[in-house]
Amino acid sequence: MSEFIPVIGLEIHVQLSTKSKMFCSCSTDYIGARPNSHVCPICLGLPGSLPVINERAIMYAVRMALAMRCKVNTHTVFHRKHYFYPDLPKAYQISQYDLPLAVDGHLEVNDDGKAHKIRIQRLHLEEDAGKLVHAAIGGRLMGADYSLVDYNRSGVPLMEIVTQPDITSPKQAREFVSRLRQLVRYLGVSDGDMESGSLRVDANISIMEPGGKWGEKVEVKNMNSLKALERALEYEYERQKEVKSKGETIVRETRHWDDDSGKTISSRSKEEAEDYRYFPDPDLPPLVVDERTIVQLCKELPELPWEVRDRFISDYGLSLEEAEVLTERRDVALLMDDLVKRGSPVKVASNWIRTEIMRVLNERAISAEELTIPPDEMALLLSRVDRGELSTTAAKEVFAMMLEKSLNVDDAIKALGLSTGKLTGSDLEAIVVKVLAENAEVVEEIRAGKDKKGKKVKFLQGIVMRETKGQADPKEVQSLIMSKI
Amino acid sequence: MKNSEFLKLSALELVEGYKKGDFTVSDVIETALEHIEVNERNLNALITPLYEEARSRSWMLDAALARGEELGSLFGVPVVVKDNITVDGVRTTCGSRMLENWISPYSAHVVECLERAGAVIIGKANMDEFAMGSSTEFSAFGPALNPWDLSRVPGGSSGGSAASVAAGYAPIALGSDTGGSIRQPAAFCGVYGLKPTYGLVSRFGLIAFASSLDQIGPFARSLKDVAAILQVISEPDARDATCTRKERPNYAEFLNVTSLEGFKVGYLAGYESLEIDDEIKRAISQTIEICKEAGAEIVEVDLPISTRYGLPCYYTIAPAEASSNLARFDGVQYGFSVVADDLKELYLKSRGSGFGPEVKRRILIGTFVLGSSRYDAYYLQAQKVRQLIIREFNAAFSKADVLITPATPTLPFKRGEKLTDPVKAYMADLFTIPVNLAGLPALSMRASMSQSGLPVGVQLIGKKFGEGDILKAASVIEQVVGPAATALGGDRK
Repeated sequence: MSEFIPVIGLEIHVQLSTKSKMFCSCSTDYIGARPNSHVCPICLGLPGSLPVINERAIMYAVRMALAMRCKVNTHTVFHRKHYFYPDLPKAYQISQYDLPLAVDGHLEVNDDGKAHKIRIQRLHLEEDAGKLVHAAIGGRLMGADYSLVDYNRSGVPLMEIVTQPDITSPKQAREFVSRLRQLVRYLGVSDGDMESGSLRVDANISIMEPGGKWGEKVEVKNMNSLKALERALEYEYERQKEVKSKGETIVRETRHWDDDSGKTISSRSKEEAEDYRYFPDPDLPPLVVDERTIVQLCKELPELPWEVRDRFISDYGLSLEEAEVLTERRDVALLMDDLVKRGSPVKVASNWIRTEIMRVLNERAISAEELTIPPDEMALLLSRVDRGELSTTAAKEVFAMMLEKSLNVDDAIKALGLSTGKLTGSDLEAIVVKVLAENAEVVEEIRAGKDKKGKKVKFLQGIVMRETKGQADPKEVQSLIMSKI
Repeated sequence: MKNSEFLKLSALELVEGYKKGDFTVSDVIETALEHIEVNERNLNALITPLYEEARSRSWMLDAALARGEELGSLFGVPVVVKDNITVDGVRTTCGSRMLENWISPYSAHVVECLERAGAVIIGKANMDEFAMGSSTEFSAFGPALNPWDLSRVPGGSSGGSAASVAAGYAPIALGSDTGGSIRQPAAFCGVYGLKPTYGLVSRFGLIAFASSLDQIGPFARSLKDVAAILQVISEPDARDATCTRKERPNYAEFLNVTSLEGFKVGYLAGYESLEIDDEIKRAISQTIEICKEAGAEIVEVDLPISTRYGLPCYYTIAPAEASSNLARFDGVQYGFSVVADDLKELYLKSRGSGFGPEVKRRILIGTFVLGSSRYDAYYLQAQKVRQLIIREFNAAFSKADVLITPATPTLPFKRGEKLTDPVKAYMADLFTIPVNLAGLPALSMRASMSQSGLPVGVQLIGKKFGEGDILKAASVIEQVVGPAATALGGDRK
């Protein structure tokens, strides 16, 4: 039997990080807030209330559309999508239908070193619904005595992005979402957090034999992390293959990913499409985004992640891996540029950012701008490392001290009791001689030619550096050791 | 002045009287409230009279008067507001069981405007449920009656507002008009009723029936009052995306005319042969004659598409929007709710018992025409017809400044007369509906009294934002036929 390949398309909902909701002035900063504390007649859908479009949300969505090379429609319409559910206060969602904000774009993913274009079918804006809290074990609907509704999320702007079924593996799906998340963060349009639900991914997956027909597609929901997305799609791919191998047919349905059991579970059959009775919302005149605004927003786009990455490779001579780590976050990429501009050598800056600085940023969950060390001091520290005035070990201590006490480089060195003068010449020679004497066995082994990889010399060098509290030039130490041996 | 005389004064006369110190706000409000209390037993024009609220506000306003504060343009004027317009802290029922106990936590834009101008809201007016009807008989709170003849309907859906103004509860009232709901009851009750251009008055706080057609407008017994209240409520409002930011003219200025020299008045070709009441035909020709004598050029216009397809077009679009707008009344968050075993039953029972028959009929029609397999054949088709109607009116207004047409095909009909045949009832809106479809302004006014003592109304239609032209022509007509009269208890049949 020939191998089935997966055909995957994604539907991604991104909560925009606007200050106010899509159609009213309520704050979107509701995480952790008291239920129903961020509401007004409009997002509660009270009788007589009317929506007014949040222009910033439009701006954010256009920004995203342009970054994905979509065609932005200058004339778009908001539709009402009707269905009854307690979290939907008007019993319709204001969304977009046949005239979405943008269409026909693409986003490139890197699949094992090869660039792969995923086409974007459409991008549109809509409002989020509220949240149901079920009073049953595990917060499930089944078996709940009653349910509570929290409308804080109701009306939060959502950007829906739909891809073409261009994704050919679960890993690629994960890579795509990861790129998309990086992009929304670069553009500052969303925090892109999957765990908190700022970024939600539904996947459509079917399988087909190469050159064969597309199979019946299954929609998979409830993946709350990149890992869950990949696992769910892998599971679903295997499941569909198994169904086929048994000679059974795949049912068109929606399946929920259960992270605990690692399985997808059928939730409802999609044989009959729901009739949402779409029609243009008469409360909202057609939205006109004029060409001038689009051109302006295009000009204002920041350098995009892949552009920065390519520039780091071509201008800084970094490897693809290094460049990808450095450009994963825009704040970090900006810091890299900043340090280099301030005279830090590329290699040192790249190494330090990828290790020490990223560690601190991750540990403290802060952005590079929030780092208490001013960039010029950081650059100063790195150039001292580069000139050999500080060993890496000493520099790390200085870095930690600068962070801890908000000191500049010189004060941190003083506070650590490191003299600012460089240990060299006969003073250094004396220490080298002493260390060699104390480690006569190692010296003998080196003389006997048993240090082909130079590890033993490095070992001695390390001891000398420690003795000098890192104030010697490691290269000078190394040449002194070699001359003495 | 006898206190009962207050009831016959116009809004502007009341403001004048306060300024001169002839009487106080509490004198007027107290008189109005007593009058209401006596007459409500018969008329049922109000769903919720606001005795306490109006009293305490009148004392507050008298204090402001005593302090010599600057007075708003509607200072101390009693106003009745249709019960589909929200007032903060007051229940807003829409004439429906569904919202029988719903207290609005916010005020409509027009209510804020009225209050800023110093008006006193004395009651929430009876209406056909969710503004669907032409007789106010579809109110869940019992029918309102016509103050000129208690055996007849006051029209609808703003029947309570029109009856209130005719009966002297208040010199002015607010209604809403989706297909004639201000103009038809104004004609039936012999008062002025203006439906402004779509987008002139903010709909924020108006409980939607059909969003692309709904417009709030005033009732009054004098044109000066119409202009004054329109000035107040047409203040631009960013909370309604369909509300224009255009600068509003000073409406009172259009009333200072005696001549219609250089003005063109159009009339419907062949109206004489239409199936309308003879007295209405006579009123039309008299009105045209008045305009002609004032120097207007009289032209004939043709509106075949509007007359033939207006009704079906309207009865596709309006129910479609209504089915959507009324979907939110699901028994979950507010309003009428039935205890049920599961969600679906909650929806079915709450909506099944909360809505009355006419509302259900229109929700069914609307749900049907919006179905994805029928959308193109019904809703989309109706939208195309609507465009043709707009074009037809544009052509008519290239020939005329205002059009004079019947407001209704008949005089006020008897109670119960049209309850059984919805299509017959829908015909009552034949002349008013195309105006909503085209988004135009139109005024309904009393042109004469019938031999049987009933008001006979005519309709003046203007071009988009042509409220000024309407007021101009109406002013000339008012100078001849006089302002609207009150049907106080004694004047009644």
